[in-house]
Amino acid sequence: MKLSALIEILREVFDSLIANKLRSILSALGVVIGISFVILMGWALATLDLAFEKTLDIIGTDMIYVDKYDWSGGKSWKIIRQRKNITLRQAFELINRLQSAELAIPVSRKWMPNVKYKNEKFSGLITTGTTYEYALTPAGTINQGRFFSLFEDSYGMDVAVLGSKVAETMFPNDNPLGKIIKIENHNFVVIGVLDKKGVLFIDFIDNQIFIPLKSFISIYGEINRSIEIAIKSPRVEDLENVKSETIGLMREIRNLKPHQEDDFSINETEMFRSSIDNIATYIWSIGIGMTALSFIVGIIGIMNIMFVSVTERTKEIGIRKTVGAKKINILIQFIIEATLLCMIGAIVAFIICSIIIFIAAIVLQNIYPALDFVPKILPFKLFIISAVIAFIIGILAGIMPAIRAANLNPVDALRYEN
Amino acid sequence: MDKEDNKIISLHNIAKIYQMGQEKVFAIRDISLDIYKNEYVAIMGPSGSGKSTLMNLIGCLDTPTFGKYYLNNQDVSNLDDNQLAKIRNKEIGFVFQTFNLLARATALKNVELPLIYAGISHSERIERAKKALESVGLGDRMNHKPNELSGGQRQRVAIARALVNNPSIILADEPTGNLDSKTGKEIMSLLNSLWNNGHTIVLVSHEEEIAKNAQRIIKLRDGLIEKEIINPNPLAYSN
Repeated sequence: MKLSALIEILREVFDSLIANKLRSILSALGVVIGISFVILMGWALATLDLAFEKTLDIIGTDMIYVDKYDWSGGKSWKIIRQRKNITLRQAFELINRLQSAELAIPVSRKWMPNVKYKNEKFSGLITTGTTYEYALTPAGTINQGRFFSLFEDSYGMDVAVLGSKVAETMFPNDNPLGKIIKIENHNFVVIGVLDKKGVLFIDFIDNQIFIPLKSFISIYGEINRSIEIAIKSPRVEDLENVKSETIGLMREIRNLKPHQEDDFSINETEMFRSSIDNIATYIWSIGIGMTALSFIVGIIGIMNIMFVSVTERTKEIGIRKTVGAKKINILIQFIIEATLLCMIGAIVAFIICSIIIFIAAIVLQNIYPALDFVPKILPFKLFIISAVIAFIIGILAGIMPAIRAANLNPVDALRYEN
Repeated sequence: MDKEDNKIISLHNIAKIYQMGQEKVFAIRDISLDIYKNEYVAIMGPSGSGKSTLMNLIGCLDTPTFGKYYLNNQDVSNLDDNQLAKIRNKEIGFVFQTFNLLARATALKNVELPLIYAGISHSERIERAKKALESVGLGDRMNHKPNELSGGQRQRVAIARALVNNPSIILADEPTGNLDSKTGKEIMSLLNSLWNNGHTIVLVSHEEEIAKNAQRIIKLRDGLIEKEIINPNPLAYSN
């Protein structure tokens, strides 16, 4: 088929779609909905990826975290609960003996502590005891004031550094620096506020109040407490070395026999990948189902309208065939018509989704500031993907009506009267 | 020139059978017929005589059940749909009782249609279609759609479309059937002038008056040629 014939077909198709505006719009609705699902799903997954990257930034790709608990959730909770706590002594032994690490910092957390400011009680917070070196990790960057010093650290002084969310809740209109807060009825001076860190899955980190580990232990005691050790490798490439040294030392420190399994976990950013993947799979499984359903509806809708179109235009097809249209000419005319209808549906869906997402991103951020990274603009990639899907749907929906049209017998078609 | 070389249409013992449920219907039983270059032939017959079927066969819209059909010495009795489409596009210009124009397209576009399927470039198409429309006296109506044209004008557009690809034959099926007698006469005189200009015309009609324009009148009955009349005085109706 010649190009001129193809251009001619495109013109014809446009004429025909415009002549039946309302019908075209209604029949493309299924495709609009289907493509919208694809776009929204793609957007959700892209957002998830971004959240993952943000998370990596905070946890640090060059960090491992030795803990009694396993972040991935892959191990049986029963086994993990039966593990012995990592004691303060064990933690410090590891920190002192570790050669390959750049930093090794003990961290201990108390969830739901009793925190007050001027007799007002605050819930949903976490007290975190750690050392001054925490300021050197990606999670410890300071926004206001300073982190506690080696001196304050080693003497267990009553100083506190607030996570950004804590500062916002406790001092909405006030400068938190220099204020006295009560943690379990002990007075602490606020000396610093951390940068805002929280993203989707680890938003708790902005709810922490950091105090020197010594002060922490003196308040909460050492019994029934497991210490986490954050370890930073000098370079990302050295992480495996650091990891194997850590495992070796920990096994030694915890007196494990060669046949015994590790009774601690080495947590790292990789572990977040599995929880991200879980959520992604979840989005996919919901999204795919709904998308498939709306595509089936869309295909049926367009197919139906194309069958109607073929019937209505039987005479036209007869005329075209009489003056020399081959089967392929008619076939392509109707397939292009269906495809174009789907393409227009895809464009409409893209515009609608752009508006939805723009508004949704702004609203979400206002409600939940940890979502400030959510993209407001749809990636162009999604446009290409939806165009390709629309193209395929158009062909699927158009092929049967087009074949029927192409196979019409010119004699019968000419005789057809609407 | 040898008469055999001038043979455009040659039907040899053509039969067309339709299956109607259990019954076989012989639309055409046995027809042999030759039509020569620049001949003006009318096919007549009452309804059910097989003239529509014969016209469809001659127009390559259909293939015979039995027999051979040579168009320009090419056997077209066993071609497939696409080959037939090509033959129709190149060799045959159709003029129908109901005009059969595309309702949404302008006169120009309608006349262009066979050229589109012939794969002719846009500029050449426009040029040729304009010329064809001018030759039927519609140079000033090119951008009108069929519903903006009178019946006679619509039929002129159809004739322009039939002419535009320089076919071997013009096949006119009751071309005046939907027209009043005055307009009908105009259309007949247009066809007659085409014959005068060297075209071969096959006219299908049930009206004696119309058929009398032709040189040769073939009367069908029950799927057979009943009689063949040589008309000593063609072009009677239009004058």
